Amino acid sequence: MAANPSPNGASADSKYAIEARNLNVFYGGFHAVKDINLKIERQKITALIGPSGCGKSTVLRAFNRMNDLIPVARTEGEVLFHGKNIYDPDVDAVEVRRRVGMVFQKPNPFPKSIYENIAWGARINGFKGNMDDLVEEALRGAALWDEVKDKLKESGYSLSGGQQQRLCIARAIAVKPEIILMDEPASALDPIATLRIEELMKDLVKNYTIIIVTHNMQQAARVSDYTAFFTVTPERTGYLEEFGPTKEIFTNPKSKITEDYITGRFG
Amino acid sequence: MAVTNQGMPPGTFPEGDQYLDFVRRRRRVGTFFRTLFFLATVLGIVILATLLLDVTNDTFGYVAVQNQVDPETVIDRYYKERMLSMPRTVTSEDDVVLAEGVAVRANAIGFFGYAYYQERTDTLRALALDGVEPTAENAASGQYFLARPLYIYTSERLLRQRPEVAAFVDFFLQNAAEVAQEAGYITPGEQDLAEGRRLWQETTGLTASPAANTLPADSVIRAAGSSTVQPITARVAERFKAETGFAGEVVVEGGGTLAGFRRLCRDQDIQIANASRAMERPDVNTCRGNKVEPLAFDIGTDAISVVVSQQNDFLPAGLTREQLRKIFIEAERWSDVDPSWPNKPILRFIPGADSGTLDYFVSQVYGDSLDDLPREDLLAILETNISAGRLRALNAERPVEERSTEEIYDLVIAEVIKPRVVESWSFTESLFRRAEIEAAVAEIPNASMEFRRWLTWEFIRSPQSSVPTLAGIRTAIFGSLWVTLIAFLVAVPLGVAAATYLEEYSKGTRLDGIIETNINNLAGVPSIIYGMLGLAVFVRFFGQITSGLAFGIGDPSTANGRTILSAGLTLGLLILPLVIINAREAIRAVPRALREAAYGLGATKWQTVRSHVLPYALPGILTGVILSVSRAFGETAPLIVVGVSTFIVIDPSGPFSKFTTLPAQIYQWVSRPQEEFQRIAAAAILVLLTLLLLVNATAIYLRNRFSRRY
Repeated sequence: MAANPSPNGASADSKYAIEARNLNVFYGGFHAVKDINLKIERQKITALIGPSGCGKSTVLRAFNRMNDLIPVARTEGEVLFHGKNIYDPDVDAVEVRRRVGMVFQKPNPFPKSIYENIAWGARINGFKGNMDDLVEEALRGAALWDEVKDKLKESGYSLSGGQQQRLCIARAIAVKPEIILMDEPASALDPIATLRIEELMKDLVKNYTIIIVTHNMQQAARVSDYTAFFTVTPERTGYLEEFGPTKEIFTNPKSKITEDYITGRFG
Repeated sequence: MAVTNQGMPPGTFPEGDQYLDFVRRRRRVGTFFRTLFFLATVLGIVILATLLLDVTNDTFGYVAVQNQVDPETVIDRYYKERMLSMPRTVTSEDDVVLAEGVAVRANAIGFFGYAYYQERTDTLRALALDGVEPTAENAASGQYFLARPLYIYTSERLLRQRPEVAAFVDFFLQNAAEVAQEAGYITPGEQDLAEGRRLWQETTGLTASPAANTLPADSVIRAAGSSTVQPITARVAERFKAETGFAGEVVVEGGGTLAGFRRLCRDQDIQIANASRAMERPDVNTCRGNKVEPLAFDIGTDAISVVVSQQNDFLPAGLTREQLRKIFIEAERWSDVDPSWPNKPILRFIPGADSGTLDYFVSQVYGDSLDDLPREDLLAILETNISAGRLRALNAERPVEERSTEEIYDLVIAEVIKPRVVESWSFTESLFRRAEIEAAVAEIPNASMEFRRWLTWEFIRSPQSSVPTLAGIRTAIFGSLWVTLIAFLVAVPLGVAAATYLEEYSKGTRLDGIIETNINNLAGVPSIIYGMLGLAVFVRFFGQITSGLAFGIGDPSTANGRTILSAGLTLGLLILPLVIINAREAIRAVPRALREAAYGLGATKWQTVRSHVLPYALPGILTGVILSVSRAFGETAPLIVVGVSTFIVIDPSGPFSKFTTLPAQIYQWVSRPQEEFQRIAAAAILVLLTLLLLVNATAIYLRNRFSRRY
């Protein structure tokens, strides 16, 4: 699916990396998010913000079908990736996830060596090149190489929290995705480690499209190019309230709710 | 610190000292539970220690060992038979016959009481033995090895109830020295006689004999036994009648020492038994078995004289013990003993089978301890004392001729002497009640006291036996290991697979729900039910397969399907739910983050499970496996239903063999009434616990190695 231009007309070189159309997610009988329409621009950082329970993480996970892992979850609508709906029956979630990588809220390296943490993903995806080079490249890409090059055989757990999160980023980019989803990647880290992650994101965005969920509005304002603000209906169903360039959302929001949230009046 | 809270209405929180009290009360509750938990722990440890102590206590201690057959009897019988079956051997209970027989034959040799030689020194020549002349002095000093004390025996009851017997014995003791001298015997020691008189006084309660005229006139005192003692008793009898005016009869007969003992104790038709040897255990047992308490009176010393005719001109003045041995059981001709002697047949004149003289000669010349005996004699003793069938069985194992002297010795002990532990005591009893145990052992005829470790290498190496001292657990250990191995091979792959399916793949359908409920319930099913299942399915229905007949390799004797395979499969099923439940717990405990990390990289489910979930869950799975395997190792009930062999001495050779297991073996031993089986059961329990500990320690070591995570 990936390389071929889709019949819908959207092509690989379209402006948008991934697009949600009328996306609805249900957890059993609970309508978690409704009618999301969102176009994510290529090689930009898009931040998803909103109060707790607004479904921003659910939307993020919908982009690489991580919600499939939750038995009761059901997704309706479309997510177009290279013009193809990734929820079509002929699309394999495994391929989607390889193309759309993910970094989680808490650093979750494998209980293996630093080297193996990176090599494993490449290996299971059939990587045939020089593994040492790939590991180095990924670690350099995640700005971790200099810190770990002498202890590649050591446990991924031996690193500090910030280093672990960068290792997870290195692990994600080692399989050469197009998009990296980040689910509050800095929420478990101290301010200095957070800063390094943010710098890394600015660096990565030259090659990757990044979607980040964050609770930290300063962070969203600092790093993102676009911001999507989600909120909830009284039934606790999340929806997209406003989407636009970050500068506009933060300086001149169109919606009153967005403004209230941005200015700290609720949330 | 008693700070008052600011800004709260009074009474909302306890304040000041009231609050401190409140804190103390809360702490007291904590202390109470801490103490409770500590006591629970201590109780657990105490119970465990008590169990171990109890088992250990039974495993060591004194035992009373009783030989089924007295080794001396076996040796004596063997050599006596050899002597008696030599060609050209004349036997007689009458020493006169022997003496006269030797006297007229130049090639003859014989032995009998010293007195008979003394009467015929003109026709007979006594030989020195090992260079010691058979003189009265040498005999009394014990240098001459064929010298022995002579006795008369009577019983405690006779001495008390028959005044004429009491009077006769008393008279005997007073005149023994004189009579012995007259009859040509070596006079008894003063001390021995005094000892006899004291015994007489103690038994009768009298200080002097009753007057002869008070004795019943119609009474008959009958004496019989050793022909060596006979002349002394006969002389004493004559003098008794003459000097005391005893109106009754005194009859003195021969017959041999053993015959005398028999008549005194078993037939009870004589009152005095003449004896040329002391009673031995078997003799005493015969008497006590007949409620006769024998009393011995030492009345003189006899030297057995080995004599040749005065006509014999080739024998030197003396013989060595070795030469003596050869002459009576090996040599056909004199030249066989010493080439310088003439090539003429040896004519032997020896006392008969019932004679105490012969017994004494055998024990002195041929030894009375099994470990002194040469190899070929041990072999002959073994072959003549066990049944032909048993000998065939032994030869089938390995021809006895090819075995070493030590092995033959062990065989003689095990097959002929059959030492048996007739009573045993625990370790604490052995430590604190030694005197009582000694007294108890002394009560047991023919028994000796030994300290015994029931848990020995021999015990671990030996197969099962119906004799507790010979029984071992080798077969049971092999059986346990085999059965547990098969249970492991069945349950672990199946269990882990099922757990993985239920945790990772199950879609939560109705069927999955039913399976899950079933497994949880199966874990609680009593193990005997699994035994019934195993019996019905593996033993009965799949008997052809579990006995190996379907593959043409089964042993017909195990065609009934009661094999290691059936037992292993049954135990495998028994522990399957345990393995599944524990493995599921372990798999469930794998953090979701780890799974998501793998899926997020584009891993398939199997790659995730294989590379991350199972390795992460492995220590937990192994914990379950350890518990389950320990359970299988210690399980008894289902195996009894499936058909563990009750008595098996052959090590299992594979899955299609008959078997027994350690717990089953322990169960069988414990259910026997004899105390000795309780001892070996305790020893086996120690082995079982040790093996369990070893298996668990190995598994825990492996688990820790696997779980050394990054």
